[in-house]
Amino acid sequence: MNILTIEDLGVTFSTETGDVPAVRGVSLHVRPGETLALVGESGSGKSTVALAAMGLLPGTARASGRVAVDGTEIVGASEASLARLRGRTASMVFQEPATALDPLTRVGAQIAEVVRNHRDVSRSEAAREAVELLRRVGIPEPERRASAFPFQLSGGQRQRVVIAMAIANSPGLLIADEPTTALDVTVQAEILDLLRRLAADSGTGVLLVTHNMGVVADFADRVAVMLRGEVVETGPVEDVLLRPEHAYTRGLLAAVPRLRFSGEDAPPAEEPPVVRLRDVSVRFGRVQALDGVFLDVRPGETVGLVGESGSGKSTAARVALGLVAPASGSVSLFGADLGRVRGRKRRALLSGVGVVLQDPVASLDARMSVAECVAEPLRVHRRGMSGAERRDRVAKVLELVRLPRELAGRGPRELSGGQRQRVSLARALVLEPRLLVADEPTSALDVSVQRTVLEVIAELQRELGFACLFVSHDLAVVQEFAQRVVVMRDGRVEEQGPTMATLLRPETEYTRRLIAAVPVPDPVVQRRRRAEQQAEVTA
Amino acid sequence: MSVQSAGRWGLIAPRGGAADGRSPAPLRARFARNRLAVAGVAVVVLFLLFCFVGPLVYSTDQTHTDLTQVNLAPNSAHWLGTDAVGHDQLGRLMYGGQVSLLVGLAAGVLATVIGTLWGAVAGYAGGWVDAVMMRVVDAGIAIPALFILLVVSAITNPGPLGLIVVLGLVSWLVPSRLVRAETLTLKNRDYVLTLRATGGTHGRAIRRHILPNAVSTIVVAATFQIADAILLIAYVSYLGLGVQPPKTDWGGMLSAGLTAAYSGRWWLIVPPGLAIILVVCAFNAIGDGLRDAFDVRGRA
Amino acid sequence: MDTVLYLVRRLLQALAVILIVTIVVFCLLHALPGGPARGILGPQATAGQIAAFNHEQGLDRSLPVQYVLYLRELVQGDLGTSYTLNEAVSRLIEQRLPKTLVLTVLSAMVGLVLAVPLGMWQAVRRNKPTDYVITTLSFVAYSTPVYFLGLLLILLFTQTLRWFPSQAPQGDTLGQVLADPAGLVLPVVTGAASMVAVFSRYMRGATLENLSEDYVRTARAGGAGQYAVLFRHVFRNSLTPVVAMLGYYVPVLFGGALVVEQLFNYPGMGLLFWSAAQSSDYPVLLGCVLVISVATVVGTLLADVVQRVVDPRVREGRA
Repeated sequence: MNILTIEDLGVTFSTETGDVPAVRGVSLHVRPGETLALVGESGSGKSTVALAAMGLLPGTARASGRVAVDGTEIVGASEASLARLRGRTASMVFQEPATALDPLTRVGAQIAEVVRNHRDVSRSEAAREAVELLRRVGIPEPERRASAFPFQLSGGQRQRVVIAMAIANSPGLLIADEPTTALDVTVQAEILDLLRRLAADSGTGVLLVTHNMGVVADFADRVAVMLRGEVVETGPVEDVLLRPEHAYTRGLLAAVPRLRFSGEDAPPAEEPPVVRLRDVSVRFGRVQALDGVFLDVRPGETVGLVGESGSGKSTAARVALGLVAPASGSVSLFGADLGRVRGRKRRALLSGVGVVLQDPVASLDARMSVAECVAEPLRVHRRGMSGAERRDRVAKVLELVRLPRELAGRGPRELSGGQRQRVSLARALVLEPRLLVADEPTSALDVSVQRTVLEVIAELQRELGFACLFVSHDLAVVQEFAQRVVVMRDGRVEEQGPTMATLLRPETEYTRRLIAAVPVPDPVVQRRRRAEQQAEVTA
Repeated sequence: MSVQSAGRWGLIAPRGGAADGRSPAPLRARFARNRLAVAGVAVVVLFLLFCFVGPLVYSTDQTHTDLTQVNLAPNSAHWLGTDAVGHDQLGRLMYGGQVSLLVGLAAGVLATVIGTLWGAVAGYAGGWVDAVMMRVVDAGIAIPALFILLVVSAITNPGPLGLIVVLGLVSWLVPSRLVRAETLTLKNRDYVLTLRATGGTHGRAIRRHILPNAVSTIVVAATFQIADAILLIAYVSYLGLGVQPPKTDWGGMLSAGLTAAYSGRWWLIVPPGLAIILVVCAFNAIGDGLRDAFDVRGRA
Repeated sequence: MDTVLYLVRRLLQALAVILIVTIVVFCLLHALPGGPARGILGPQATAGQIAAFNHEQGLDRSLPVQYVLYLRELVQGDLGTSYTLNEAVSRLIEQRLPKTLVLTVLSAMVGLVLAVPLGMWQAVRRNKPTDYVITTLSFVAYSTPVYFLGLLLILLFTQTLRWFPSQAPQGDTLGQVLADPAGLVLPVVTGAASMVAVFSRYMRGATLENLSEDYVRTARAGGAGQYAVLFRHVFRNSLTPVVAMLGYYVPVLFGGALVVEQLFNYPGMGLLFWSAAQSSDYPVLLGCVLVISVATVVGTLLADVVQRVVDPRVREGRA
């Protein structure tokens, strides 16, 4: 019998502007012990399906059709009967470990609460079980950690606590909604291993909601692909990932950046660098954000700055932009010492730099039109320009980033995430800069959108010849676009060199682990890599 | 189609519906949905008409006393009766309302202007400038406004203009904290960082990005300030230090009628009391509605 | 170690604030037309008398020097002497402050005890009739001048129903005041009304915000019922920001006491201040302002420290 059966599920949200269907006619099932991956891009309705399965849809949602967990109907069930089911028959792990736990309650108590929600055990018994669960999910020193508050744990540990809560009553169904999306790749690999082991140990069925095809290849037995609220393709993971039938699935897979395991480096550029960090250190309070960083970006080349969260990669980019003044060391931009130039000279220097930052929403002032956003650098640095010339220039750049001219008069709110990032790019390029600093420019975007934005950047770079400092956590993206790569860790440069040489034959253990942790979207290859790693660990 | 029972947990639902990122309804529509706020606008408009157009229709003598007509209960000649020196109470309500509304509006706006400048400079400058400026605000908040008002009124005995200045000078603190907090967030927005990193000036960042984006916070703060200012004038008058007769304001009328209330002359206190409550409520409701419509944060 | 550092920094900040308050008060004192001399000698004093007085009191020295002298007296607890009551201001305040504290602390407690559940109830019933009714009532309570509300209460409960006296307890000692609880009812209720209005709004907002937090969903996914979520998690998380607001409410409470004491003829510091304002008794006025400001600074300090104890995130400086 299936642990989860969904038949003809429909979910509609009532909003200010009327009813919006989010999910239509979705049918799927999860058998005990198997993992079904529900994949799709943002807005495809995959998370809504997961919430509907738990009866956790928000009050603005109406569900129709049938959802049954272990034989119990969910749609239309009373809140009390749903509460009896949640945490016992079906559990859920959420995306954001930073906010998923009550900040004022000790983690042991939060786990014990789930135990006592469903079983009549004493407080001390539940507390003992909580410690045991913490041990099972691999938290070191569980006795001590049980009395920690969530903020005292790392993101990965918090996610382990959420998992401990989810398995506290050995549920038959575990729903994991993007469980590793907010985590670094090495932590992601650990959490996926943990989930796989727990599910295998107790024969739990898993519904894994994710957008990451590598995670699917690593974890799932079967896959269901969602597009605009409907399931377009279902099948075993090998079939869907290697022999996709639906055009959408094929496109999606083609857009995923893949780590390659062979390739040659182009000869290195020899000209003097456009930006150079020499022995730069930065402190924020008691945190050493950067520690003796050396970094060069030469004309026309792309340097990929990679590392996990807290490695200092964004700080290094901000130092290069002059937004953060280094405590020691020097920054030279186009040959001038950025620490010494002031006033008009400094502004003139900075006019040679373009910037694209991560957040498509925060990057554009919502009060300005697209044209005004793009024209802002012209207003700052080309004061003498006439309105007509300016309009002309803006239209040209919008064309360069492949945005239709009609968008010029719109507000940023009316654009999609990918369009906004291209507006940011247009603004960065309107002065024809010699250096583009891009800080995770595509990590908030869906893969297909990411692909177009990255292609636009690469194409324009060939055309205009600017240098690019490209900050990213995604090794596959960096491998594809950067000629040189700088790996950062804890505020220091772990290693740097030509991209292929560094990523194919890493010199440091850390880089090796980083690369090994990236799951590739091919279940056969990924299974082999995992076996190799486990052999390495046991050896 | 069955309604999911989770609907009763409407309280737990995050705002908005599907995660499709469509732009929210326009500001006016969002404001109009708040019925209290719309009622607030209506009340304010009605009172403005009453106080400033009313005297043209219902003309009374509010400068000379008429000792033959004192303490009359409401009647056909004096719809709201007369007070202890023979002023027509309805006419006086209009006349006093002019002072209360004008002083309240002006003082609220003045306080917001001062607070905005102070808060924007502190928030944008940051560092020790911010620290010093905010300690000054803390000190200002520590001194109860009512007490300062009393001391200053005792010294200078101000007219309406003086009251505006004094009220403005004691009530700019809360808006300054709000604007500072807003400036702190805005100056670290990506579009401001981008501008700074590509050679834009501080002036441009403040003029083009920070102040325009802080406008909603400022407008909301101003609305609440006006409400508080109208209340404060009433207190100052109650403590005998407001505008002096024959001029008056609602608070002055109210305190003049206090003793009469014990002997049953309700018409001396209920109309000005209700007027204050209604107008202050109205401005608070408008502020609340604007805040929700703009989606900006709190009162403090 | 962190806590010690934090406390030291916070204390230094508080001292800086108090120093600024003394400067404001000092400036107010010297802003008097004719300076303090005119205030003390009265409007009939001749220029000669004023000059002699100024010289005698050191008022002809430079302002910074005078400020330092003023500070020195303050540190010794000398707030000057009342013009009209001919007694040390510090003694007067010493007698009156405890009574005002009884009034304000009781009002604050009554206000909070009512406001917190009301705010939570509103949040749970958001946009339902209950919410609208309480919201409207709290707008009205906030917008009613305290003395008008007090008057209505007196008319209702003293004149019509004859349940409570219209005068607050008159005794000189705290014991006498507390021995007459019926007399305290109306003043305390009057003082608490606007506090209920303000803090129920805060609590409503904080509860609503917390109800949409991710951890609520996690708790529900673990099988917690609505009330378990509300009382085990949301309540505590919503209360901490409300506690932090308490400190800033101290001056408002004292402002309310000023009016309440005058209305109910309660011989606390508010009444002292009011009569001082009537007779232009500047040393008393400024002494009261100073004491209340210090009380506020101490109040905000305490609120911060309490919040630090309650909220482990603040303790570690992460929130």
